[in-house]
Amino acid sequence: MPSAEDIKQRIEAAIAGAHADVEDYTGGGDHFSATVTAPAFEGLSRIEQHRLVYAVFGAEIGGAIHALALKTHAPSKIPTN
Amino acid sequence: MSASQSQPLPMSAAQPAPAPTPSEETNPIRDAIAQAIAEHKVILFMKGTPEAPACGFSARTVAALQTLDVPFAAVDVLPDARIRQELTALSDWPTIPQLFVGGELIGGCDIVTEMYESGELAQALV
Repeated sequence: MPSAEDIKQRIEAAIAGAHADVEDYTGGGDHFSATVTAPAFEGLSRIEQHRLVYAVFGAEIGGAIHALALKTHAPSKIPTN
Repeated sequence: MSASQSQPLPMSAAQPAPAPTPSEETNPIRDAIAQAIAEHKVILFMKGTPEAPACGFSARTVAALQTLDVPFAAVDVLPDARIRQELTALSDWPTIPQLFVGGELIGGCDIVTEMYESGELAQALV
């Protein structure tokens, strides 16, 4: 069962320059939410950005990882709130 | 995981009683999904129904659409695991719900919620 730290490290290892904040929001090791910023997101649509992150986990999404809620940002488009 | 075998096979003329075929060979479910997406301007694939969503993410996505007062078609993926399997192969999107507008995948709960909050969803649905 992965921890939030595992998820963070896997995202950051797989996507060059990525920074991920990950929370296990039920504490059960299968529902996570992540905010990811990465230069690779520059110029991509939200769908494409999310696909890049989902691709890190392949079939684990919907399997061992029941939910991975995502917010993704290109570094040039970090919201200022 | 791959959608590499998406080409339908030509129908054989001398087919006896049709045996259950694996999804790699023929894809009536995938064809039906593609047709539903083509035929409905706004279509949501979800767990449960808009009246009784079976998952919080589906419920939130339905709520966003209902708040904007747009009519939408809804498909429950739960009755048959193959619906989700074929939908994901078609859309290259691993999670449910999935919202399509004008034949294109808009996203899942996170993107729909973000777009709802920013006003982009209302624009996309016009």
